[in-house]
Amino acid sequence: MAATRRLKRVASSQPGFLHFKSFSDSTESVSSRRKRVNKNKKKNWNKHIDVNDVDEFLEDIRHQERTTGGLLSEKSDDTLFFVDVGQPEKPESKAAESEEGKKRKGKTSQPLRIDLILQHDSLIPPPKDVLAYQQPNAKKLRRIAQKAEQLARKGVVPRRQKRLLNMRPVDRVAKKAMTEANNNPDREFYDIWGQKSKDSADPWYLQQTGKKPVKRPEKMNDKPSVIPAVEVIAPGGSYNPDFFSHQALLQEAHEVEVKKQKEEDKVERQLAVNKEDTATKETILREEVQGLVEEDNEDDEKANEEEEDVAVGGIALSQKKTERQRKKEKTEKMKEQQRASDKRQTDLQQQLFQLRSIKASLKQQDQKTQSRQTQRKAKQEAQKSQPRRLGRLK
Amino acid sequence: MGGLQKKKFERGSATNYITRNRARKKLMLSLPDFRRLCILKGIYPHEPKHKKKVNKGSTAPRTFYLLKDIRFLLHEPIVGKFREYKIFVRKLKKAYGKTEWSAVERLKGNKPTYKLDHIIKERYPSFIDALRDIDDALCMCFLFSTFARTGKCHVQTIQLCKRLTVEWMNYVVAARALTKVFLSIKGIYYQAEVMGQLITWLVPYQFSHDHPTDVDYRVMATFTEFYTTLLGFVNFRLYHSLNLLYPPKLDSKAELELKEENEDDYAMNSECYIEKLSALSATLARVVSTAEEEEAQLDQFPVEGEDMERMEAREQEQRKQEVQKKLFEGLKFYLNREVPRESLAFVIRGFGGEVSWDKSAYIGSTYEVTDETITHQIVDRPNIDKQYINRYYIQPQWVYDCINSKIRLPVEDYFLGVTLPPHLSPFVEEKDGDYVPPEKMKIMALQRGEKPAQNQEDEEEEDEEEEEEEEDEEEEEDDNEEEEEEEAEEKNLKKMEDQRSQGKSLQVKVTPGKLKVENPARLEQEEKAEEKRLAIMMMKKKEKYLYDKIMFGKKRKVREANKLAAKRKAFDDSEKAKKKKARK
Repeated sequence: MAATRRLKRVASSQPGFLHFKSFSDSTESVSSRRKRVNKNKKKNWNKHIDVNDVDEFLEDIRHQERTTGGLLSEKSDDTLFFVDVGQPEKPESKAAESEEGKKRKGKTSQPLRIDLILQHDSLIPPPKDVLAYQQPNAKKLRRIAQKAEQLARKGVVPRRQKRLLNMRPVDRVAKKAMTEANNNPDREFYDIWGQKSKDSADPWYLQQTGKKPVKRPEKMNDKPSVIPAVEVIAPGGSYNPDFFSHQALLQEAHEVEVKKQKEEDKVERQLAVNKEDTATKETILREEVQGLVEEDNEDDEKANEEEEDVAVGGIALSQKKTERQRKKEKTEKMKEQQRASDKRQTDLQQQLFQLRSIKASLKQQDQKTQSRQTQRKAKQEAQKSQPRRLGRLK
Repeated sequence: MGGLQKKKFERGSATNYITRNRARKKLMLSLPDFRRLCILKGIYPHEPKHKKKVNKGSTAPRTFYLLKDIRFLLHEPIVGKFREYKIFVRKLKKAYGKTEWSAVERLKGNKPTYKLDHIIKERYPSFIDALRDIDDALCMCFLFSTFARTGKCHVQTIQLCKRLTVEWMNYVVAARALTKVFLSIKGIYYQAEVMGQLITWLVPYQFSHDHPTDVDYRVMATFTEFYTTLLGFVNFRLYHSLNLLYPPKLDSKAELELKEENEDDYAMNSECYIEKLSALSATLARVVSTAEEEEAQLDQFPVEGEDMERMEAREQEQRKQEVQKKLFEGLKFYLNREVPRESLAFVIRGFGGEVSWDKSAYIGSTYEVTDETITHQIVDRPNIDKQYINRYYIQPQWVYDCINSKIRLPVEDYFLGVTLPPHLSPFVEEKDGDYVPPEKMKIMALQRGEKPAQNQEDEEEEDEEEEEEEEDEEEEEDDNEEEEEEEAEEKNLKKMEDQRSQGKSLQVKVTPGKLKVENPARLEQEEKAEEKRLAIMMMKKKEKYLYDKIMFGKKRKVREANKLAAKRKAFDDSEKAKKKKARK
């Protein structure tokens, strides 16, 4: 832009301008009265300096660059000249042309004009956009990177990275939990009965410090039931059974079912209601109306009975007890006591004669208690083979 | 009144028991946790003798535990683990609710687990104690290994159960410990003798079960948890007693045999090995691979107080057992597709036989149908197309019956299409006088080595028509003969009496007497019988009364047995008649 010449506004100062004053008259004075301009000042660089020759030179250079991609003086000989050897043989060229012609039928297709217009026709490459390569805080970023590199070399991990590392899922812990589980199919077994117990320290010391393993109570080793763990089914349960054993098995099952049925029947019998006892409309009505709609005779009789009852239930007035009455009561009480003691006395004496019957009754009682004891023991033994009774909730 | 009065229910049995809820509160556990703990430690409620005393006068139905047991439970380290697990569940629920997935992952990774090894050591201080309780564990593990892996109970538990049961079966096969097998409607009962202990277990049939919903699977799962640990340790010990590697590995020779091209068709890579083991068709690797040694003769240690007789009897028994263990040695079996492969493979290999099946049925087949050296082929169809000459085609019951009767039964009764004899239970011990089914009698006869009687019976059954007629004729003839004889004798006697009455001298001649060969054994028997009769006559009235009662009871059994035998005869006859009619 600096190279383009600014068009001089003032037309009179443009070259070739003819002034009013004649040339012969004014040449000397004009030429000698031209104002002295200081060419070294910035203000005058644009106004009073003729840069045409420089412009032409630069234009020429640009033209060269546009057309040939560089200064002609700088180009090598090979690029500018070639040795003319003469025309190559015609049939080859014709064959090549004919091949090309076959590819393109008729006219050779040329690229579109619009594509040609849009292409760069100068051989100068487009200039670099410097701003795109500029980064205002390049120095700062470089400094940060260097510091980070130094820390990394030392081994210090920045906080963000540390957090990301911590967020990584940890696999080995999950595996540990899985392999430790009791039902892991690949779990290892060892000889549990072959190892010797760790009797490392004095048993007294272990007991005092609470490190001794607690002893299992003896009663816990008893089996809860005398029935064997696996009961083999009767021979009638075979897949191809003998006729009689199969019948025996069916008989047992049948008896169990009969028992169940009997119990059900018993309950039903107890709950049974006679059909005739069910209330019908007539009986209900009769009950409701009982005593209300009756004949007159019955009414009078009932009224009399009620009056008598009322008379009997009257309040009895109490009178104070006299001395005599009190004495009498006392003596009677004493007599009663005496009589009772006498009776007791005679009873004790008579017991001597009742020894035999007393013995017999004692014996009977003994027998009863013994039989009850044996029954209870038998019941307990039988319970051992029964399934355990659970509480209200299982 | 001054002084300390004795209050009711402050001492004695009332203080030795504690109710379940009180115990639970003392341990600070929830009810399912308390139940689980009791199952694992083997603590059961105790029924007190006087319920009213313990229940402080009321008769409400309560379960009581011994206070000492509950106090012992307080020292258990697992209780702490249960509480930790409860807290873990609570935290996990919170994290799920707040959708904090990283927290969920973290928590899951730190799930609290516990081990039951110390409980097993405490409940079974010696190995034999553990062996005594292994029946229940085996039944449970076999049951769980048949479950489908749906997720109702932990899939890991099912896998572990399968592994343990396969190991156990391999051990029984290697030790030849199997003694009895019984096919029943409930499943297959096996009995093995391991280290002197008789172990019975039940294996359900291998088809998909419809699991009933009223069974509490959580309780069963807790039992299984305990039992799997126990069984694992027992297996370890048993394998080491036989000098086998544990965890079991296939013998290198056998492994090469079993290697096939398309192993991926059967199982995933991770499960391939255990499937091969469960095929039970190969031998296991030993810890120290030794060349086959001859069995050293066991030293004869005379037990104190034993006579020569007993020792000899014991030796005979041992020899019998040795022979029994090699029941199928040298026989080669081939299982057809429709027979239960696992059970038969286990049982055949357990007695020394070789077994194989179709390649496409299961992994681990060693030879094909076309192998010429197969001696028995086990088929369960009415007929089979292609039949090889030098092998028997039999139904699977033959194998089981042979094992139960401890000899190789004749194969004819078990051919294809033949009605099988009933499968008798080996667990029934028949006492004298009890009813013994005729099949069992046959087998006992075979065991004693009496073959011809059986042949005769066979012949009878084969040619029914002709022989029946002949028999009828024969019977008639026999009867006639007997009658004639009797008649002749009677006639003779009558003649002699008539003659005597008539006063004539009998035409009796004195002929040289025949020597009666006196059987000394029979004499002894007669003497003994006489002595017995005298003793009976000399008993007091009371004693005689008791004796009569006892004999009546004994004879009752015999009478019943006779009744059943008569019924059976009638039944058989009716069957024969039916067959006859069908033929006609």
